[in-house]
Amino acid sequence: MEIFAILGITLLLTSVPLFVKGARKTGIINSAGYFIVLAVSLILNYRLLHGRISFSDFFYVDSLSGYFLLLIAVVSFASSLYSIGYIESDVTDKAISEKESRLYYALFNLFAFTMFFCTVVNNLGIMWVFIEMTTLTSAFLVGFYKTQKSIEAAWKYIIICSVGITLALFGIILFYFTVSSNGGIRSLNWTDIMAVAPKLDPKIIKIAFLFILVGYGTKAGIAPMHTWLPDAHSQALTPISALLSGVLLKTALYAILRFTLIMNKSIGPGYTGNLFVFFGLLSLALSAGFIIAQKDIKRLLAYSSIEHMGIIFVGLGIGGPLGLFGALFHMFNHAVTKSLMFFGAGNIVKKYGTHNMRSIHGVTQALPFTGIFVVAGVFALGGSPLFSIFISEMMILIAGFTQGAYASMGIFLFLISIIFGALVYHFNRMAFGRKPEDMQATKEPLGGKLAFIFLAVLVIVFGITMPAFFDKLIKASVDILNGL
Amino acid sequence: MAVTAKRITALVNGFMLQSLFLFLMTLTAAVTSKENELYIIALLVLVLKVVLIPYFLKWIARKIKIEEGLGLYINPILSLLIVIVLSYGAYMFSRNIMGIQNRVETASFAISLSVLLTGLFIMVFRMKALAQVTGLLIMENGLFLAAVELCGNMPFFVEIAIFFDVFVFAVIIGIFVFRINELFAHIDVDKLTTLKG
Repeated sequence: MEIFAILGITLLLTSVPLFVKGARKTGIINSAGYFIVLAVSLILNYRLLHGRISFSDFFYVDSLSGYFLLLIAVVSFASSLYSIGYIESDVTDKAISEKESRLYYALFNLFAFTMFFCTVVNNLGIMWVFIEMTTLTSAFLVGFYKTQKSIEAAWKYIIICSVGITLALFGIILFYFTVSSNGGIRSLNWTDIMAVAPKLDPKIIKIAFLFILVGYGTKAGIAPMHTWLPDAHSQALTPISALLSGVLLKTALYAILRFTLIMNKSIGPGYTGNLFVFFGLLSLALSAGFIIAQKDIKRLLAYSSIEHMGIIFVGLGIGGPLGLFGALFHMFNHAVTKSLMFFGAGNIVKKYGTHNMRSIHGVTQALPFTGIFVVAGVFALGGSPLFSIFISEMMILIAGFTQGAYASMGIFLFLISIIFGALVYHFNRMAFGRKPEDMQATKEPLGGKLAFIFLAVLVIVFGITMPAFFDKLIKASVDILNGL
Repeated sequence: MAVTAKRITALVNGFMLQSLFLFLMTLTAAVTSKENELYIIALLVLVLKVVLIPYFLKWIARKIKIEEGLGLYINPILSLLIVIVLSYGAYMFSRNIMGIQNRVETASFAISLSVLLTGLFIMVFRMKALAQVTGLLIMENGLFLAAVELCGNMPFFVEIAIFFDVFVFAVIIGIFVFRINELFAHIDVDKLTTLKG
């Protein structure tokens, strides 16, 4: 029932802008809606601890999908809170019209709906359709300002992701081919395929999985298929950047994980594990280079998303209870911390009117509230102790070293320390120093502040302690990933 | 035909012809297997891919009054040679690597893979935005061929959903072509290079 509540509320919110006038009012109703969604998804996760839920073979939810659903709910709630002030000030500044603000809220909800749908559907073909739908709905939000740059970013986004997803469909067709000829059933339901997994032709599923990894990997922002990501993340509206980076990448990863489970059951975890570690380290190395030389603040954060997706992939590839726990926990930490940083960057960009980090100085003076959170946030993002990302990175490292993967863990450690240094260097120059003479310190909207506090509390609480409920949630997902 | 085309209308016509053959193949498969679902899918191929989408693409091309050239990086003869090599590669791949024994399956797999690669080739080596869209649609045709020939067909509602998806894709991408044309006064994708690094 909770599934229908979540999907129903998001769809209902899509129609709110039709009836309600005023960007502010719409925004508040929107946030209230996502608060309910968040509450419902917590209840759903609680129920999932006691068993899986499926509905007429079409919907299928287990702890793994419940965890991803919770992730989406958390980030969309924060993002809807932040949207209130952001969109309202855009309307007052005449950056967008009142009519466009309604379009924004409709698309925002549609985008969230497609992501929620991906996580609850059983049929892998329908999941494919909805992943493509996430691209199509968010493309408008990337190109929302209709400037040359944003249209260019939206075009690259839609074309590169569609090619990727087409390759993934080829992989799905190959899977279906071996499922119907070797497995003897004509179905794309994940549960049915899992039942016949040991019978599948290993040669064909290996090739099919490569297509799927490259295809969905494009959407998940894995190097070298990541080229759309910095453009789209930097040009999208800031609340959308947070959604793209925080959860859209993970939705694609969720689809990869569903196929990984079939693969692991069929031919053992070695094949997928090696691929994950390889692509993960490649993403880390590539993003490290771009982060050092970056000038644009939002692109910096976008490359940092590639880095974190790399870390998650390494964790999944290392595997074992601790590695998988670390990877899943890291997904949550990255989603929360990166949204916080994007909101901070959004406020900075609005205040200074530029993306260029060299012309931004004295953020802590000009925007005292944002400044504090951004400074704390950059340390959290880089992975210093007391913040949650540190814990999950440590888990992955310990898992890797205990399994004897010294070479890849050495590279991993080297790259994340370089990235930490580069991030702190860039943000140090922006946060401190003298603010421009003619710039006044401004008050920030309440919705934005609430979003900051909500996310910061999550970052800090999970950095210090692990709530028992959350621990159980992740452990249940780890059990599913281990094929129990 | 699509590979050697120098003008947008010729490219779209190539796509239309390909979709027509796809329709005939699906119809044949429907007649031999006597599955009602395949008839509906064949009809959808005819309506969407042979009539609506090509018409829509040509309408956009007329509406934005761009010059007809596709902007070739590689000339038609060389393109044709490359695509022949790609097709041979696809054949060798499906025969040796996939290890499919059945000859009909090998052939249909090779054909669909080479259609996929051809579409990708057009996307990469043609400059205009509309050519990229057509390339992607050609790739999609290759996939569809694989689905019909190898698997009989995918579950029915998945097929319908994929059709819906292709349709939405075509419409949305059309809107973006208009916007690019409005803002840049051209649709040369190779000139969209502001965002780097």
